[in-house]
Amino acid sequence: MKVELKGRPIVPGLARGKALVSKKPLSFLGGVDPETSIIIEKNHDLNGQEINGNILCFPHGHGSTVGSYVLYSLVKRGIGPKAIVNETADPVVVVGAVIAEVPMVDGINIGQIGNGDVVEVNGGKGIVRIVKRKKPCI
Amino acid sequence: MHLTTEEEHIYDGEEGWAYQTAMRILVKLGDLFGATHLIPIESAHISGVSYKTMGDAAIEFVEALAQAGAKAKVPSTINPAGLDYNRLTEMPVSSKVKEKQAKIISLYRTMGINPILTCTPYYIKKPAQGVHVAWAESSTVIYANSILDAWTNREGGPSALAAALIGKTPDYGMHRPENRKANIAVKVETELENEAQYGALGAYLGKTLKDKIPAFEGLAHPREEDLKQLGAALASTGMTSIFYPCQSCPKSVKRLETVRVGRDELKESMESLSTTDEQPDMVYIGCPHCSFSEVKRVAETIEGRKVKNDVKLWVCTSRYVKERAEFDVATIEAAGGKVVSDTCAVVTWLKKLGVDTLMTNSAKTAYYAPTMNKVKVRFGSLRECIDAACTR
Repeated sequence: MKVELKGRPIVPGLARGKALVSKKPLSFLGGVDPETSIIIEKNHDLNGQEINGNILCFPHGHGSTVGSYVLYSLVKRGIGPKAIVNETADPVVVVGAVIAEVPMVDGINIGQIGNGDVVEVNGGKGIVRIVKRKKPCI
Repeated sequence: MHLTTEEEHIYDGEEGWAYQTAMRILVKLGDLFGATHLIPIESAHISGVSYKTMGDAAIEFVEALAQAGAKAKVPSTINPAGLDYNRLTEMPVSSKVKEKQAKIISLYRTMGINPILTCTPYYIKKPAQGVHVAWAESSTVIYANSILDAWTNREGGPSALAAALIGKTPDYGMHRPENRKANIAVKVETELENEAQYGALGAYLGKTLKDKIPAFEGLAHPREEDLKQLGAALASTGMTSIFYPCQSCPKSVKRLETVRVGRDELKESMESLSTTDEQPDMVYIGCPHCSFSEVKRVAETIEGRKVKNDVKLWVCTSRYVKERAEFDVATIEAAGGKVVSDTCAVVTWLKKLGVDTLMTNSAKTAYYAPTMNKVKVRFGSLRECIDAACTR
């Protein structure tokens, strides 16, 4: 079973990994601990989860433009996301992905991706492929 | 976006990593928001300077650019830092923090950016009318568009820095005349008495108008500082980057949907900007940084009076204004107040200064300080602020 979602290419590059999916906007400044990549934004549905090594899927960014630098810093420390998938790209996340060279696609209905699904992202083509669904908990 | 051959070369990395990265930021943002090409800018103003706000994360990227030899192509300035460099010994932070803050400033300086450390660079050099600029800092942006007629988008720290290094910005948003037109009329049906009420009006409208562009009717003879407060508040609670304080509005405005603001709305907004009515332990004037005439007003209000022993009075401005307003500065400091430059109450370590309750005449500060600085806030006019600070 493979589901292919077509969005808009933002930053080129290939990535494959587990999807970390949120229904809520995310602020990188103040919302993510730059030392650990753990999401610390209050009342966030991913609060306590680590970004490190995941394909980070969320509707869009919000908050300070310093957030772009936080994303850069995470990647330089080797604890950044493997790729970013947004519904609507916003300047903070786009600039962060550009300077950190993280593959990024937007225009994707995040609701179609399950938390823990294995996905492939082709940033240059704007494609997100769900290659393996996480088995539902019984 | 269409790029010239020279721009293509930079985009492809022929001028090195730093300029390539700057160009990629501009092109990506341009693509995202429908720009067709890059346009030259007269100046850039960059946010992302205070170590308190930025933390370590931002230093790494700015350092990488500086080390790669990137230089600003146009006159560029930066926002306030976390410390007053004339009062470094009074600043309650470790030497490690002071080093980090100094490093950020020196990185910008290395890139040929003027470490002016103020959010009101326009009091030092006004841009020419009708020029394009790339300014960050929402209060500076709305002032540029509305009061100075210098055209800028609401840039963030990284995009303003990228524009500084390339000397250009993508031509979307506020750089296009059709996006600068008023699309809502605001009829102010009560008389505004002081700058705090102008700020309260802005704070109320930012929440209700979001990113709509208001043209005001009924503002009777506002002073420049009144409009500065109105704009700073409007841009804090909302996403507006421009407003029109028209004395006599053009016909086109009269046909727009109209929002009315009366005494009740203003009173409610004034009240909502205070979280306490307690005695403040700091009184803060200077968000955005004071003009000459504001420093003078503080001096005239405080002359011959004395600041209470347990209250700090901070009057924040640029070093430029402070150095040239020496008589007013002397009057304020003789009364026990401090004229502080290079920083402001919001971007410094307020809690470490022992501040729990802050009183201010700035609606922008009143809006941000409870969350950014974790302090209680009392909001009032400049006169009310000075009265609260002084013994009589």
